[in-house]
Amino acid sequence: MAGMDREFKELLISVTIVIIGFWTIVQLTSGLIWDWNGWKALEPQSYPPCEVNNFLQFTCSTAWIGMIETIKIAILATFFGMLLSLPLGLLSSRNLFPNYITYPSRAIVSACRSLPSLIWAIVFVIIVGLGPTAGVLAMSIYTVGYLGKMQYESIEGMNSDPLEAANAMGLTKAEISLWVVIPEAANHLIAQMIFMFEYNVRSGTVIGIVGAGGIGYYINLYLKFLEYERVAAYLVIIFLVVLIIDMVSIYLRSFFVDDSEKTKPSWSGLILPPKETVGPPRSNNPRQF
Amino acid sequence: MPAVVRLENLEVGFRSTLLSIEKLEISSGEILAITGPSGIGKTSLLRTISGLLRPISGLVQVDGVRSPERPRRGTIGYIPQKLGLVRHSSVWANVMLGSRAARSSSDSKERAINSIIAMGLEEKKYESVKRLSGGQQRRVAIARTLAQRPKLILADEFLSELDEKTSMKVTKAVTNYVSASGAAMILVEHDIARAKEISDRLLIIDDGRLNPFITDTSILEV
Repeated sequence: MAGMDREFKELLISVTIVIIGFWTIVQLTSGLIWDWNGWKALEPQSYPPCEVNNFLQFTCSTAWIGMIETIKIAILATFFGMLLSLPLGLLSSRNLFPNYITYPSRAIVSACRSLPSLIWAIVFVIIVGLGPTAGVLAMSIYTVGYLGKMQYESIEGMNSDPLEAANAMGLTKAEISLWVVIPEAANHLIAQMIFMFEYNVRSGTVIGIVGAGGIGYYINLYLKFLEYERVAAYLVIIFLVVLIIDMVSIYLRSFFVDDSEKTKPSWSGLILPPKETVGPPRSNNPRQF
Repeated sequence: MPAVVRLENLEVGFRSTLLSIEKLEISSGEILAITGPSGIGKTSLLRTISGLLRPISGLVQVDGVRSPERPRRGTIGYIPQKLGLVRHSSVWANVMLGSRAARSSSDSKERAINSIIAMGLEEKKYESVKRLSGGQQRRVAIARTLAQRPKLILADEFLSELDEKTSMKVTKAVTNYVSASGAAMILVEHDIARAKEISDRLLIIDDGRLNPFITDTSILEV
């Protein structure tokens, strides 16, 4: 019963903070995000005319179009980045390959990571022109650098016993990578990929400023028209979307940790601390442990 | 009987010598047990023979191939102390790993199934290895090695964590394989009585040297 009370109290505090935060934001953005008539920032553009039914009118707003484009860019960049980074991550692992392979491979991974995605976006806007293609390319390259490093670090940190057994059997490096390393490191690799998607959504909002597509393009546009309230409203939308993706990402990643079977992931676990199943009951007396 | 393993003037260790062996040969169909106090270099010897650890000096020859050249694929089946299983994969995937590593690629599935049955793991075939008990995991590692059909089995305390009945069943499967296939086996075992029972020869490592006087189980008094 005491546990229920504590949970309820913590939930109440969380909900109150969210409501106060939301109200503050609504006031700061002069009703551009939301007023009593609805979600203003999600009003459809005047041109081209919105032909969907009233209930889905928000899908014609620049906020929606921009945000969806950003998410699409992030999905593609994560996919292509993962495709390229996995072989590079394996080739960069010193517990799998000799130095004459790992050094060049690490150099490629480092080179991809050396420039931030915004600079890559500028480079690709020059090469392929304005639009989301430049964004996908820029973020794919950055993903290779970032994800590749995380991958080879987790592969190098994996238990050496399965590798030794496979080496002693005489399996080739490709077979060891495919049948030992990838299954053994799968949890880490999947969790890193989900994290990278979340990261790409966040950085994808910025690259639009240099013309590489996404919601950043509209933010840049409204900045030029000095519509600062609308810019603030879009930033808040980005914040909310990133927050939701972040929470979903934490939830999904919690399935891919080694103790996920012992502590089943739950949505409430994102906000509330885990339930205490072992150990002595909490005491209100700080001296008593 | 031809020698599957030949060791000559071998110095085993990382930077300093842990263990010296003047001469040792293990013939086809023979089971050799090695025992001795902890930390004396038994596991290092197995790792050196398997090619995982470079010898400080001396000759290591497995199936006619001299170190540092590696013997042919699938020649050595290694059961490390910590088993070396892919924990996130199923029993089947782990045993198939051994089967795929075999010298002959034919009937790999059949070999894997037979090994799983021999270890009494048919009901756990699709279960993730990490969900199995310590003893079951050990049987998976043995099944993986049997599916590989190696010419040399290196086993580091492969019967620990097994109850007596299972231990006997596993021992029978392994010894049958060795005698039927003409493979050789080197096992590290702390339980001298058990080692004596399984092996054709028992070597005791004492003070970093293989004791040359106690090499025959028939004359060993425990």
